[in-house]
Amino acid sequence: MIILDYVWLVPLIPVLCFVIVGFLGNKMGPKMAEGGFLVIAGTAASFVIALLCTLEYVGFIGDGGLYPDAVTNSITWFSVGSYTLTFGYYIDILSCLMMLFASFISLMIFTYSLGYMHDQGPRQRRYFAEVALFLTGMLGLAVSSTLLELFIFWEIMGLCSYLLIGFWSFNHPEGDDKADNAASAAKKAFLVTRLGDVCLMGGLFVLFFTMGGLEYTTVFNATNLANAWAANSGLLTLAALLIFGGVIGKSAQFPLLDWLPDAMAGPTTVSALIHAATMVKAGVYLVARCFPLFVLEPNVMLFVAIIGGVTAFFAATMAMNNMNIKKVLAYSTLSQLGYMFLSLGAGGYMMALSIEVTGGQIIIQNPEYFTIGCLGYAAGCLHMVNHAFFKALLFLCSGSVIHANGTEDMRLMGGLYKQMPKTAITMLIGTLSIAGFPFFAGFFSKDLVLDVVFEAFHETSANVNYLFIFLWFLGIVTAFMTAFYMFRLWFMTFMGEYRGHHCHGESPKSMTVPLMILAIFAFGAGFALLLGWDGVFTFFGNHHTEGEVLQWIVGGWDRPNVGIHWIEELFTNWKTYVTIVLVIVAIALAYLMYVKKSINPGKFSKDGQSWLYRTISNRYYFPEIYNQFSWKLGYDVARGVDFIDKQIIDGTVNGLSNAVCGSGDLMSKAQDGNLHTYASVVLGGIVVLFVAVMLLFFYGGVF
Amino acid sequence: MDASIFTNIFGYYTAILPMIIMIIGAMVMPAVYMLTKKRAAVTAVSLVVVVVSAVINLIMLHYIGTMGDYIYLGGTSATFSGLFVYTSFAGLMIMLFQIVAFFAILVSGSSREVTKLHFGAYGALMLIATTGMMFVVAASDLIGIFVGVEAVSISSYALVTLKRADPRAAEAGVKYVIIGGLSTALTIYGISMVYGSLGTIALDGLQVAFVAKGWTWGLVIGIITMIAGYGFKIAAAPFHMWAPDVYEGAATPVSMFLATGSKKMGLAVFFKVFLVMFIGVTAVKVEPVQYLFAIIAAVSMTVGNVVAIAQNNIKRMLAYSSIAQAGYILIAMAVMTPYALTGGLFHMFTHVFMKGGAFLIVGALICAGVGEKISDYNGLARRSPLMAFAMMLFLFSLAGVPPLAGFTSKFVLFSGAIYDGGAVSTWVWLAFIAILNSAISLYYYVRVIKAMYIEKPAKGTEGKLSYPKVFAIAIALCAIAVVVLGIYPNFLLEPCATAAKDLLGVF
Repeated sequence: MIILDYVWLVPLIPVLCFVIVGFLGNKMGPKMAEGGFLVIAGTAASFVIALLCTLEYVGFIGDGGLYPDAVTNSITWFSVGSYTLTFGYYIDILSCLMMLFASFISLMIFTYSLGYMHDQGPRQRRYFAEVALFLTGMLGLAVSSTLLELFIFWEIMGLCSYLLIGFWSFNHPEGDDKADNAASAAKKAFLVTRLGDVCLMGGLFVLFFTMGGLEYTTVFNATNLANAWAANSGLLTLAALLIFGGVIGKSAQFPLLDWLPDAMAGPTTVSALIHAATMVKAGVYLVARCFPLFVLEPNVMLFVAIIGGVTAFFAATMAMNNMNIKKVLAYSTLSQLGYMFLSLGAGGYMMALSIEVTGGQIIIQNPEYFTIGCLGYAAGCLHMVNHAFFKALLFLCSGSVIHANGTEDMRLMGGLYKQMPKTAITMLIGTLSIAGFPFFAGFFSKDLVLDVVFEAFHETSANVNYLFIFLWFLGIVTAFMTAFYMFRLWFMTFMGEYRGHHCHGESPKSMTVPLMILAIFAFGAGFALLLGWDGVFTFFGNHHTEGEVLQWIVGGWDRPNVGIHWIEELFTNWKTYVTIVLVIVAIALAYLMYVKKSINPGKFSKDGQSWLYRTISNRYYFPEIYNQFSWKLGYDVARGVDFIDKQIIDGTVNGLSNAVCGSGDLMSKAQDGNLHTYASVVLGGIVVLFVAVMLLFFYGGVF
Repeated sequence: MDASIFTNIFGYYTAILPMIIMIIGAMVMPAVYMLTKKRAAVTAVSLVVVVVSAVINLIMLHYIGTMGDYIYLGGTSATFSGLFVYTSFAGLMIMLFQIVAFFAILVSGSSREVTKLHFGAYGALMLIATTGMMFVVAASDLIGIFVGVEAVSISSYALVTLKRADPRAAEAGVKYVIIGGLSTALTIYGISMVYGSLGTIALDGLQVAFVAKGWTWGLVIGIITMIAGYGFKIAAAPFHMWAPDVYEGAATPVSMFLATGSKKMGLAVFFKVFLVMFIGVTAVKVEPVQYLFAIIAAVSMTVGNVVAIAQNNIKRMLAYSSIAQAGYILIAMAVMTPYALTGGLFHMFTHVFMKGGAFLIVGALICAGVGEKISDYNGLARRSPLMAFAMMLFLFSLAGVPPLAGFTSKFVLFSGAIYDGGAVSTWVWLAFIAILNSAISLYYYVRVIKAMYIEKPAKGTEGKLSYPKVFAIAIALCAIAVVVLGIYPNFLLEPCATAAKDLLGVF
């Protein structure tokens, strides 16, 4: 292990960039893009190290990799009494995957930022410093070896998300209203995700209590889990649910989904990086990481699946009639994240059914169910990566459009194809990919997700299977809606007549080149399936003798030709063709509505007056409900608390603090600067001590 | 490289080698000034002396750590009755004093508060005071300790009064001498009483004699007067009243030297004398002494924190906060476990950086023409953002805000009072008082931060500040230490644990 020993450099380099740009950035003038070049160089270095580490881990370079066993190493952070906190790295194929796509997409987005943020002048320094710190959080999260460490990096990301959403809160290019908007969006994002973080923290406490540690090697060890489950199954379930609460906050799942659309008030690059490609994936990563814990209880996984399916559907409906190009993409991010949780949840449910925890062992009872579980895990992870590529691409394309037009309103765009051909083509690739058009990246992973859900329906018993067919139905409808709203977006932006005021034309090279690179991945990432790489992303009970799970690992699926096998299954399956047909119908519908104009979209919505249309465009009154809830309930509670606080607690505190301050004044008056006083106090003190000792002696019975 | 190089060259004197280097430095310092007439030359030479001494000390400390063997003055414990012994505790504390001396000397040459005319003497006194501290921690009997403490005291009286233009310094010097003389008298009286009742002054013989003879009136009086005498050095209540006057009157580098160095020497004496004497004794009741220290600790932290609230002068505020910090460290004396001592030693180190850093900022700002009142700090964040940021770090660290060094060391220290081998200790009430006090202290620290970040600068003082560059270097070093020790305390926590075990003889 030559390079892998230095994997800690991956998160360390960005934090060094943060320190240098943050504190010495004023020395870097516009020539160095206010520190931008340094951050890009640092990110590139991180990416190269991450790539080399991955190659060494899987054994392409160096003396044979350790794949699929995890490589872990840690140093003592500090010890409290007998308990020692450690800080280290834990590398398996999931960490490698996270590191690779996070650093690669960051590299693309930072390069793009050179062009996009160019007009911000010295304020770029703040931007680049904060994104570098954010990248530290993301990469640190990927390589963490304990859940506590993960939580620290998780919080760093939350902080950076807050700071970057509010980037324009002091001085927005479009005026003060927008600036206030950015400030309140940042606050909202911070508070709502904090709610999830409190849950996560509680989950970690419970887990620490039951497992006696937070190191991955302790917490996810099959024997430890089986023993803890035998002793305290209720607490472990609670821990899993609380951890998922944190995930709901971070990945903006139902019902904490409302902050993400508002977070679009930040710069578009930030939306692409944090609120589409990386940070919101941290929740998916956490569920994937905690799979050994979650699969202990089928109902936890069922909960994950339901939350995912419901979010996917709701968010997709909200994207249908929105006119803001970034908000449509934000809703679609929510919807796609829902897919990932749906897949992990459905697969995890099957895996949970397949295993039995008895007598300190985890036994695989039903290999067929277990296989579906592995497939669900693979689908979720694969969709996470694919989505990172195409959603980053889509956001950056929308950024390019916004950069040229100076507006986010799609009603003021149209016909931009001729003026911005590169952006239009790359965005078309992204749109086809997210819509699930055959052979694009999104197609493979999305159909795999739906397949898993259908398998779950097929295999499970009478009551639960209704639920899964319902979730499958939601998924199919979501696929249709996704194709529709994404093409609505593309057609409204690039086709038809230009409805805006002024377009600057194509964006500079620093922006279009990253688009083209990302477009290649948005098209081709799905072929990973063909190469059999999905076996790499599965979750697996390794070293099983007679069905006993000895160790949970990621990857190392030992079935031959899994990739080809699943591809074959994909194309010999009627459900795949149902989705393909739905996608094509949706594209056609969008074409007829927004290009040919042969169908008037107003007909369905009674020109925006229908009850459904208004409900959706008011986001199902979610913000309203939150406000009412927090206002009505919160205000009354607050008034009650306020009364107690003012009258009782404040009274006590004020009394105490007056006493403290008053005695401070009094005692400092005793210090009159007079030497006699000092000497008398010393002698008086000795007398007091002497009396005290005498009392203690008599009390203690010495004399 | 190991210490055999030194033992080959210096033979019997290896145990006091770091001190010898410092003494040589102190002796040449006036000559350096006479020949060059430049403060910079004196500063440079004394820094070289301190650094050489520190490097030698580190090598010896490493040697002690690997060999687990003491270095005695005279080669064996029999020669000179083992008057000075180099142990890993002594090595660690010597390192602390050298760090303090390094910072104090580094900035003195550029500070406008420090005398120009007598700078040769100033440098020599600084080195002698440091040497005295180093002898104290290496001494193995009460007389050795007494002489070392006197060397420090007498040099510090002179150091305080060397700020000759300021009448406050003269006043502070007089007070310091008189109260110091009182404490010296008390100490020597106490030592004679202890010698009279136990028949020994060797530190490792005290416990044996105490267990054999038990409590006597003479011993009680001796111990109380010794506590009073050395309590004066650490400015524990009620022997603290000189401290704010002296810290306010002295030049800021000297205040920093006294608050972080001289005080630590007093605490080291407490550890070496009383902790070693009483720990683990079961044949004779020692709870009264533990309670006595607990009371002193509780009163010190409460008095320090409460009175600090009423202060308007930042140096006085920091002085009172030092009194409170000494109270925190005294928790180790009450709890009397190796773990609590580890926390105490670690807090002594973090205190050097956070309190030292705060004093250095005050000194730098005085050179930049900013006054000593807290209201003079209004709007500092605009006038000098880096200084304000560093000050915020130090104050938050003093208050114990994570992830800074002060939090970690308080955490270890207080948890030593809360847990004792898995069970809740009897000293949990002391930890509670300490935590309550930390909350109170946040009030006056935040007051300064509010002045720096929220208030607007007074009319006519809006301009950017310029201060000597060496201050910036010293402050940056302290700030880095405060952050690093907060995030990764282990590399200093482990030597502290080793030193604590070494001192208490628990291997």
